[in-house]
Order: sequence, then structure tokens, then C-alpha cells
Amino acid sequence: MQNKIIALCALTGLFIAGAAFRYQPKPWAVPAPAAAKANPNKSAEDLTAGKALYSKHCTSCHGKTGLGDGPKASELKTEPGDLSKDVASQTDGALFFKITEGRDDMPKFKGKMDDEERWQVVTFVRSLKK
Amino acid sequence: MKKQPIRYILAGVLTALCCIALPLASLQAQTDSSAAKLVAKKKVAYTKYTFEGNFIMDEQTVMVPSAKSLEFVFQHRFGTFNNGFTDLFGIFGGAHIRLGLAYTPIDRLQIGAGIYSENMGVDINAKYAILKQTKDGRIPVSISWYGNVQMDTRKKDASTLFVTFSDRLSFFNQIMIARKVTEKLSVQGSFNVSHFNNLEGYLDENGGVQPMYKNTHLSFSLAGRYKITDKFSAIAAYCQPLTQHPMNNPHPNVSLGGEIRTSGHTFQVYVGNYDGIVPQLSNLYNQNDYTKGQFLIGFNIDRFWSF
Repeated sequence: MQNKIIALCALTGLFIAGAAFRYQPKPWAVPAPAAAKANPNKSAEDLTAGKALYSKHCTSCHGKTGLGDGPKASELKTEPGDLSKDVASQTDGALFFKITEGRDDMPKFKGKMDDEERWQVVTFVRSLKK
Repeated sequence: MKKQPIRYILAGVLTALCCIALPLASLQAQTDSSAAKLVAKKKVAYTKYTFEGNFIMDEQTVMVPSAKSLEFVFQHRFGTFNNGFTDLFGIFGGAHIRLGLAYTPIDRLQIGAGIYSENMGVDINAKYAILKQTKDGRIPVSISWYGNVQMDTRKKDASTLFVTFSDRLSFFNQIMIARKVTEKLSVQGSFNVSHFNNLEGYLDENGGVQPMYKNTHLSFSLAGRYKITDKFSAIAAYCQPLTQHPMNNPHPNVSLGGEIRTSGHTFQVYVGNYDGIVPQLSNLYNQNDYTKGQFLIGFNIDRFWSF
């Protein structure tokens, strides 16, 4: 009887550990020319437009303030991360590349948003760290 | 019911469209050309998101999605509120449904097809953005043309009106003019032409066939959207018939609702009078009278993919 209880507890622990585990994203290499691109849309108007686009396209996973706590975040295999911290070490061009091309759970937004709009999202995402 | 010479009417509509489209396209080209000359390599900045979907309830919008976009639309109209709780205010009453697909092969041009529950109608359609509003105000409005051909696919029998194949066909053409007035408010007006090759008539006291309707029906529509939040808007539309028919004159459509937008979907839920979905059927046959409270609930679900 005692062995059965121990086995049940072990299985429960494994289950909880498995449920809590989430795939941690592997490093996302950005080609140097893409990373070097400068953001041409950094005005206050672009920030406002970027906020609206972020609200429509990004909040469901990344959350309203980029904390990775959007309503769909729990369904993702990959941790969406904390944008307010993650963007500090990345160039605008790198962020633009990732929004454009996507990877795994992150959809590609080329086609859904034009170049100007993706730069505007970069401008807004950059403001999340403040 | 006499058939009208459809080829003359279609020729007239196409001629009118060319008369509108060619000068305006030339103006657009000149504007583009002038902009290019004044500032080297400066792109024309078009106003974005006058509307964010192909529909405002029963009305088309000037929006043509970006090239290589695919749209699937599910349109549903419940029964009217007339029967009260006995059919849950029309929700459990008769319903009309249309499923549609549309693709934008090149910039500004969308082509589509759909199937509709009433009489298993099938339609093919196209929309072209003739003119786009620019941010600098050089072009103050967006203008688009929408047209369709719908076919009644019922079997030929004593209850149907089909003598030849062309009797099954109806046509719809409209020119839409819209303006994004402010970041929150967009408005649109359109002039609409519906044509039916063959319509129901009746026998008069002398045994002669008399028309119940004219084959060509004109109307105009107004539609608008007001953004309340980045994702939610209030939407409204009105369609006024212009043609007077011998019998059964259609009633106008008054509709009001809400629109929710996500990254890939647009949802519209609203209250209105039209149950026909396909525009020429609604325009000609609407007998739901808004002055008598004959409203129904409808919804549109739009899904977009970009390739």
C-alpha cells in the first residue's frame, strides 16, 4: 500500500513538472544586414500607430505591456518572454526582422502589416522598456 | 415578364465605369508621377484602414486587402423579431447563410465566389480600388467598384421562371466613395445598380403578362464606422431604394451594430432589416419594414490570410 502511494505521488510530481515545463526559446540569429537597418518611423505619430497595431496583432500573446501574459500565452509551446527587458539588447533592425519573418509560435507579419507598420510596432515595443 | 436587352445595360454600366475609372486612374498616375518628380523616390502615402474589412454588415466597403490575401467570410442572418419569444426573437426562426472566398491576386483587385442558402445561389464577384485616399490630402477620398453575377441554381420546373439559362442570372454593380474623416471616423456612400434578367410577373384581367418589378433597380447606400477602442467599433448603414416598381416596392435597410477586430479576424454583430445577404436580392426584395420594427440579428465573420 505504501509503495502504491509513493508511486502515485511520484507520478503526480512528474505530471506537475511536465505541465510546468515550457520550451525555452533557442537563440534567434538575425542576419547582420537586417540587424543594421535603421528605423525610419520613430515619430510620436508612429508610436501612436504602433500602439494600435500592437494592440490588434500582439497583445493576445505578448500581453498589453509585453510581459508575455496575453490570453493565448499559456497555449504557446514557446515562452513569449518579457519584451520590456528582451528588447534592450536588440537593435531596431533585429526586432523588425523577427516581426517580419516570425519563427515557431511567432507568426510572420510580412503580408499582414506593411513595412511602415512593422517599424511602427518596433517603435512601440521599444517604448515598453520605459 | 419581358426581358430587357441585358447586353445594352451591361455595356452602359461598363462604359460608365470606364468613364469614371480612366480619368481617375490617370489622375492617380499623374499624382504619383508629380509626387515622384517633386521629391525623388518618395512613395505616395495612402491613408490606411479607412475600413478594416470587406463588409459593413450588408454593405461592401472600399477596402481591397493587400495583394496575395485570401478572405473567407461567413454571413448569417436570423429571422425577424416578429414572433417574439416563440422563436427566440428570430434566432430559432428561418436563417439565410452565405459562405464566400475572395483572393487579391494583385494590388487593388479582389476576385471572389460565394454560395448562398436561398435557392442555392452561387455568385462570382470582383472589387477594384480605383482611387485611394492619400495622407497629404491630394486625393481626399477612396473610390472602389464592386460587381457580381449571381445564379439561381434551382431545378427548372413549374415553380421556377427559367426558360433559358440567362433567366437564372442577376447582376449587381456599385461605385463606393469613402473617406477616413478622422482616425476614429470613416464614412462611405455608394450608388448601386441591380439587374435581374427575369422576374416574376402576373396575369391581368385580359390574360396579359404584367410585371411585378422593373428589371433594373437603383439604390444608394450610406455606411460608417466609429472606432471606440483599437479593437472595437460601432458600425451603421442605411440603404435607400430609388426605383419605383409596379408592385412590392422594397423597403430601406437600417442597420446598427458592433465590430471586433483581431489580428486575422473581423467579427460583426448587428441588427438590421436585410435578410438577403446577396446585395441585389436584398435591394429588390426586402419587405422587412423598419417602421414596423421588422428587424433581425445578423453577423459576419471574416478571416484573412496573407501569403
